[in-house]
Amino acid sequence: MRITCPFCGERELGEFTYLGDAKPVRPAADAGEDAVYDYVYLRDNIAGVMSENWYHGGGCRAWLKVTRNTLTHEISAVEPAAGAGAAKVGA
Amino acid sequence: MAEFSWDIRSPLDRALVAGPHGARGDAGVSLTEIRNFDLVQVMARRGKAADVAKAAKARFGVAAPETPKAVGAADAMLIWSGPDQFMVLSKGGKHGIEALGQAFASSASLSDQSHARVLISIAGTKARTMLAKLSSIDLHPDVFAVGSAAATSMDHTSVTLWRGNDRPDGQAVFNLLAFATFAESLWHTVLDSAAEYGVTISHSEEL
Ligand SMILES: [Zn+2]
Repeated sequence: MRITCPFCGERELGEFTYLGDAKPVRPAADAGEDAVYDYVYLRDNIAGVMSENWYHGGGCRAWLKVTRNTLTHEISAVEPAAGAGAAKVGA
Repeated sequence: MAEFSWDIRSPLDRALVAGPHGARGDAGVSLTEIRNFDLVQVMARRGKAADVAKAAKARFGVAAPETPKAVGAADAMLIWSGPDQFMVLSKGGKHGIEALGQAFASSASLSDQSHARVLISIAGTKARTMLAKLSSIDLHPDVFAVGSAAATSMDHTSVTLWRGNDRPDGQAVFNLLAFATFAESLWHTVLDSAAEYGVTISHSEEL
């Protein structure tokens, strides 16, 4: 599998680290225990297209949001994660 | 308080043995460790990328690389190391951390890497063939031209790789920057990969 880093270009999988689901959003401070429990512990086991966080640690050290089909490994989009790595992104 | 006396040594002080290595005959690979350089990491602060670009242009007379490239200025090399960040490689302190700290005071965070990295210059007729064993980067001249750079990994070690100007005899030159603590490990890997082609090993103070 290869990932096309938006900063570096196409690179082998070994340069990247998988972090997991990019969908969960930190709940508001007053959202309650169930919402926090869900955010911290509960994950969907998606068979299909999934939005994931990957780290290009063996390259430019930017965090990336990768859209990947977990059944086929087909990657349909890679973009910089908001606020990570680049001063331009999420500024 | 204890008195410390710091002795500056190359990260390859122990491992590098100048002279021939591996197969005999005409060496296919030449390895030169470059010692005693100034290296400063420049990272744009959030939202300050344009200010950094302006400060770099004013300081070096050339635009800092915004894509994986190495750009030569009159007395420094600007090497892309990630989004909105680059390294300044120079000699003699003119572009050391103190000097650059003022130039980028309001736009970037700087980190002195002068003694934190090892710099190895690789050339020779078999340089590409040897590097192909270690790197997944396409180093074909059509793809990786003079001035191309990459933040990548070799043997699970993060490296910054860029192609310098060709040697007078027309041979390509590949420069490799790696963390000093990985220097010996990477060095032995490079030596093992290059041994079958014959190697000439040296060190130099010239960038
Ligand atoms: Zn990258």
